[in-house]
Amino acid sequence: MLKKSIIAGLVLSVAMAAPAMAGSYPSKAITVIVPSKAGGSTDRTARMITETMKTQNKGFEFVIKDIPGSGGQKGFEAINRARPDGYTIGLVFTPQLVAHIVSKRARYTLDSFRILGNVAQDPGIVAVPKDSKIMNLADLAKMAKAKPLTVAVNGIGSDDFLAAKSFEAKAGVTFNLLPTKGSTEQKAGILGGHFDAAFMNLSQMIAQHKAGDARIIAILAADRDENMSEMPTSKEQGYEVYMTATRGMVAPAKIDKAILDQLEAMVVKAVNDPDFKAKAKKGNIYLAPMNGADYLSYLKGLQADTQAVYDKAPW
Amino acid sequence: MAKRHLDRIVLVGFAVMAVLLFISTASYPGIAQKTSALYVKFLAASMGILAVVQLGFSIFRDNDTGKLHFTDHMPRFFGLLIALIIFGAVFEYVGFFISAGLFIPVVAVLLGYRNYLVIALTTVSVLAFVYLVFEKLLAVNLPGFSL
Amino acid sequence: MLEHAMVVLQPYSLLTILIGTIAGVAIGGMPGLTATMAVGLLVPFTYTMDPALGLMLLGGIYCGAMYGGSIPAILLNTPGTPAAVATAIEGFPMSQKGKAGLALKVSVVASFVGGFFSVIILLLFAPLLARQALNFGPPETFLLALMGLAGIISIADENSSLIKALIAGLLGMVIAIVGTDDMSGSLRYTMGYIELIDGIDFMPALIGLFSMIQMLELAGMRKKHEIDVSALHKKQRNDPLPKGIFKYIAVGAGTGTVIGVLPGEGATIAAFISYNVSKRISKVKELFGKGNPEGIAAAEAGNNGCVGGSLVPTLTLGIPGNSVAAALMGAFIIHGMIPGPDLFNEYADRTYPFIMSMFIANGVFLIVGLTIAPYLARIALIPPAILVPVVSAFAVLGSYALNNAVFDVFLMIAFAGFGLILKKLGFSLEALILGLILGPIAEGGFSQGMIIGKGSPWIFFESNIAKIMWVLIILLLVPPLYSYWKNTAMVKAPSLDDQD
Repeated sequence: MLKKSIIAGLVLSVAMAAPAMAGSYPSKAITVIVPSKAGGSTDRTARMITETMKTQNKGFEFVIKDIPGSGGQKGFEAINRARPDGYTIGLVFTPQLVAHIVSKRARYTLDSFRILGNVAQDPGIVAVPKDSKIMNLADLAKMAKAKPLTVAVNGIGSDDFLAAKSFEAKAGVTFNLLPTKGSTEQKAGILGGHFDAAFMNLSQMIAQHKAGDARIIAILAADRDENMSEMPTSKEQGYEVYMTATRGMVAPAKIDKAILDQLEAMVVKAVNDPDFKAKAKKGNIYLAPMNGADYLSYLKGLQADTQAVYDKAPW
Repeated sequence: MAKRHLDRIVLVGFAVMAVLLFISTASYPGIAQKTSALYVKFLAASMGILAVVQLGFSIFRDNDTGKLHFTDHMPRFFGLLIALIIFGAVFEYVGFFISAGLFIPVVAVLLGYRNYLVIALTTVSVLAFVYLVFEKLLAVNLPGFSL
Repeated sequence: MLEHAMVVLQPYSLLTILIGTIAGVAIGGMPGLTATMAVGLLVPFTYTMDPALGLMLLGGIYCGAMYGGSIPAILLNTPGTPAAVATAIEGFPMSQKGKAGLALKVSVVASFVGGFFSVIILLLFAPLLARQALNFGPPETFLLALMGLAGIISIADENSSLIKALIAGLLGMVIAIVGTDDMSGSLRYTMGYIELIDGIDFMPALIGLFSMIQMLELAGMRKKHEIDVSALHKKQRNDPLPKGIFKYIAVGAGTGTVIGVLPGEGATIAAFISYNVSKRISKVKELFGKGNPEGIAAAEAGNNGCVGGSLVPTLTLGIPGNSVAAALMGAFIIHGMIPGPDLFNEYADRTYPFIMSMFIANGVFLIVGLTIAPYLARIALIPPAILVPVVSAFAVLGSYALNNAVFDVFLMIAFAGFGLILKKLGFSLEALILGLILGPIAEGGFSQGMIIGKGSPWIFFESNIAKIMWVLIILLLVPPLYSYWKNTAMVKAPSLDDQD
């Protein structure tokens, strides 16, 4: 860490001493805004990818700035407001990024960002207590028709919430929805049998499922997940309810085209680095590399889908 | 101002706040009516009742005419408060190290300390400590450090 | 087991634990620096370390920080963590009487016993206890918050007005409702400030209400010293611990460990419940609030008891017991150690040394604390003109660093300003902060309970745990209320001034 700072300091003093060298990018460390708490899995994703980007690209230094809170909104706004000089980029995550736009809370739009690419994802799942009679999504729909089931989601407007709403619509049921503060409360409620079911993310429950403390009954995706290939998807079970949380890199909109291209290439290269892949696998982070254009079209599609849910039942 | 007068003003303020809070719960949407609204109503009602009861005690039983005694030394008290506000307002722009480097000696002198060597040593050691702990150990980006 | 113990006793391990623990004590003692923040920020740093060593470092920080919060609470009335607020109620009056050395000694011994006991429980009974903790659902969480809030009555019942303490507690809970309504996702009373969407963080409030008010009062003080310094010069090292203090330490250690196992921010609740219980069973109730070491013993054993307790569900089930444990869990995951049975089989060579290292960490802060207590007590001799600007600078820095937000700095200053007025009028700031911290836990438990109960409040009386908890709440509430009622009824004279 000391060495890093010395280099940063040297780079900085050079930059200040010779403004004529402005053409050489980067002349100082690049700040990466992470809209999440230090030490969380979002923060870890950002630190791992920037570490790899640093190793792969000589002269590049990154400093992480965590701006937690309000479902990432504070951090997203900060990326939007940052000077587009290439020295501030950020990490975003879905569906919160678009959910804030849809619910009219955000002061940014998707056009406020240039998308560098996606790094990781965490597919949605449905989990039930280990001794629950619900074995699959059909059971869930059947039981929910008989009596309202208490189903936990991690806050209103979250990916879990959107998935639960989408399932309600597809299966024609209404849940007794219970919003929690964080996935920890969902886990505790499912393991303790206080809830009938919970919509969550795979990384949050996979260990508990394997240990037999809880049961995952579906992955909310079209294709099976490599981390849990034995688990049937929602599509296989006849419900087209898809949800995944993605984490990608963006830059402020007015960033220079040349710098943007350079950064995008770096992100794509880093995500495909074998060393990075190994680290991510160990750290329970599921990679889903996408280049800028692909990720942008994904985000646009997601925004449209989220808008549809919001129009039906605003929060 | 007599202490009991300010006390009554504050209690009336709490009572009014409680009433407004109670009324505002009517606008909670959907499911919140059956959950959060009940909780907030309970808080508002308890607070309102207690504030009124205490106000009654104050009016009927409190003959204390003592003045509200804030501080012995007004200039120092408000000096520190103002210095704090300025510190908070500027430190994101000029950076923590410059603003704290000014704040500490200024406040020390304001409070009547005149041993400038001790002031200088204290300021430098605080800044060095913050630099080591925040910048080096925890790698927190304090504003103004990277300019 | 022996081989795991040998790992801990390696020189490198011991050095790591030593560094972690001492850093933890410093972090806990600084206003605004929290164990959650330190562990969170150091998790990526441990990635490059040997996993066992990295975890030992973080474990040391956790143990040390929980104790460290009590030092400034006792010496300056500026609790470094919310869990040390109860400690300040008894510790600061002791400092003013020149008994800071003894207060620090009681606090470090109590912290050690509470911490050590909870790690024994963690080592021996973790899986069993974790299963039991799962029975604890939202309705029970609500009742736990109520038990903590019952502490307001014990803060108040001797001299200050009970009603004012209750109003202060309610005010704290009302401040805590600002922000997002978790049930509907709609915003309540945020007035368009994006900073308020998450509600008002209790750390700026804690720093403002205690550290900053204390500094403002010191700044405006004419007399140089309010503290009896004569006792400080005498050798305090040999001051014996008060007789019978271990009863209160035991109460705290037990309460803390049990509450630590349960989900939620346990340390503050544990400290206040232990404090409350110790006051109920004490023979010298009237000394509470005036510098009774029994209160320090119970509160400190209580909050340190949470350390081991909070790791029980974290390690066995992957359900972190509080925010520090959540950050620690990140450190396990980064090394591929996913909490669950794997930790105790596949990764036993890292998990057991980690748990055992916390025995050492507790020992380290015991030795450090006992050694430096007489010197620390001399902090009271630092001229206020130097102390005030330094602590103020840390108060600003600490408020900012929590969320990298200047908004929190102004929040802290506002809490200091309005808090001082309330304090002068006889409202208890301890009650206010307790309401602010426990309000969201109470609301979450209540609202979720109502949803699970499909709108019926009977859910709060249904389970056996809930019934037992109601009995405990009544036991905590009725005796003080009765004695308070008797006191007020006896003194009917209009001269009764329940303000001060």
